[in-house]
Amino acid sequence: MKQFLFLGVLAVVFSCGNILSASDTSAKKVYTEIEVSEGGSIVGNVMFAGGAAITELNLHGGWDLGDSTKSLSEKVVVSKINGGLKSVVVSLTDISAGKKKVNPEIHPVIDQQKNSFIPRVTAILVGTSVDILNGDQELHTVHTKTTRNQPFNYGASYKMRITKTFEYPETIKLTCDVHKKSYAWIVVLDNPYFDVTDRNGYFEICDIPPGAYKLQVWHEELGNLEKEVTIHSKEITKVELVYS
Amino acid sequence: MKPKVLLSRVGLWSAMSVTSAALMITLAPLTARAVSIPTEVTEEGKKTYSNYCAPCHGDEGKGDGSLARSLLPKPRDFTRGAYKFRTTPSGSLPTDQDIYKTISYGVPNSTMIPWDILTEQQRASVIPVLKSFSEAFEVRKPDAAVGVGLETRPSEKTLAEGKKIYEEKLECWKCHGVEGRGDGPSASEQEDDFGFPIKPFDFTTGKFKGGNSSTDVYLRFTTGLNGTPMPSFAKELTDEQRWSLTHYVLSLIKPEECPHK
Ligand code: HEC
Ligand code: HEC
Repeated sequence: MKQFLFLGVLAVVFSCGNILSASDTSAKKVYTEIEVSEGGSIVGNVMFAGGAAITELNLHGGWDLGDSTKSLSEKVVVSKINGGLKSVVVSLTDISAGKKKVNPEIHPVIDQQKNSFIPRVTAILVGTSVDILNGDQELHTVHTKTTRNQPFNYGASYKMRITKTFEYPETIKLTCDVHKKSYAWIVVLDNPYFDVTDRNGYFEICDIPPGAYKLQVWHEELGNLEKEVTIHSKEITKVELVYS
Repeated sequence: MKPKVLLSRVGLWSAMSVTSAALMITLAPLTARAVSIPTEVTEEGKKTYSNYCAPCHGDEGKGDGSLARSLLPKPRDFTRGAYKFRTTPSGSLPTDQDIYKTISYGVPNSTMIPWDILTEQQRASVIPVLKSFSEAFEVRKPDAAVGVGLETRPSEKTLAEGKKIYEEKLECWKCHGVEGRGDGPSASEQEDDFGFPIKPFDFTTGKFKGGNSSTDVYLRFTTGLNGTPMPSFAKELTDEQRWSLTHYVLSLIKPEECPHK
């Protein structure tokens, strides 16, 4: 058993080595890490102009607003307060030099609760590990169908934690075959300039070297948007994007 | 199910495992390490592939050969590098030996016959051809094979443990059904990664696609069947529990219902 553990540790060390070298080579091709001291930021809001978004808001409850979002469908979750759209991935994909790529030591978590994946959309930098949990007292599976990132399909019983590292940029659908309707997205990006909108549609990207870039916006149901943005040193650029 | 019935199955199972062990021995030369598998695509490989495999698997390995349309299960589409029968972990590419074994034994219950009409060298020669169809083999390497510990002896106790795992801990019945007939509550909606309908295996038939030996069954649920909803349960269970589950799965075979066994 001890020997086995020791081998396990070795395997971990080796695979980390691989991850580093993989991201090193891709970094040479498309993205150079530089010191960004006088960078600017983008703060913005993604809206859904689908009309139905802003219904009456019951303020009688005082601070206890209840659920402030409205699900037009499972996929399109809109804030009742400002029409902001949740779970949109916003990224600068054409940036060739910028801040260091840092993979978080604390892994992002995707949990299966009541037969749904939470959160529904996770965006990560290449080389990041994600922990996939099962919080339900029944069997779930977690299944991906990629070719470059090694796919996987694991059965997971209650409290199981599956840790997976993603090494290539790709938009990955994670499904459960026992409950066909539930799925989640893992969007793997090759530079650290991205964010996922919160329940009011807000996002924030910071430490961007001054310059002109294309802001790419992705929503699973509503598709892609694109917007030119200009970043000035130490300034906040405000943008509003609307799916109509 | 009463323990007595189970035990009589165990008896039957042991008899089976003896025969399958005997089979293994007679078939052993098929997987002989002596066959050397070329690392590059050769003329012989290309010729063998286009004569014998392309009619089903297609000229470019997309599973779209001229005979493919009317077949279900579909001939494997090799472009994703998703192989069902492996000794390697979930999602991993297969080893050359894994592919060699499938070609030699075929896939029961499908049109993929055992290709023992070809020489060992011909069978080995198509392997680099199959791999050349997928970029997965360029960017990834197969992971190390999963460990398979010494088989335990099936007993009333291990069968009861296996049953508990099947029915409660890992809930195999959700797809395979309580009696193993492939008719669990989630069975009807299953499809493979290529979008074709697929049925959870009916254990009562006993004709396992990946081989009938206990090690084969152990490997199937430990590594999963890539490209299908059948997941890997590698993150669960100790080695002993795996053998218990294996024995329980084999006890679900109902030989009286399959004419050829
Ligand atoms: C008559 C049609 C047919 C021909 C000819 C044929 N196959 Fe297949 N093959 C299939 C089918 C159908 C499957 C899928 C079986 C399944 O998934 O249940 C398959 C699956 C496979 C697999 C999948 C193994 C895995 O682990 O997923 C390999 C490898 C393979 N075939 C190799 C070959 C080779 C090599 C040849 C030529 C020597 C060949 N096949 C000829 C029909 C055919
Ligand atoms: C999400 C549904 C699902 C669950 C859960 C599931 N299976 Fe499967 N299983 C399948 C499907 C579908 C196949 C058939 C794949 C094929 O035909 O290629 C399969 C095939 C198999 C095979 C291979 C049979 C052969 O032909 O060689 C074995 C063994 C097996 N399952 C065992 C298990 C065990 C044991 C469990 C529980 C620990 C389990 N399965 C849970 C869907 C499932």
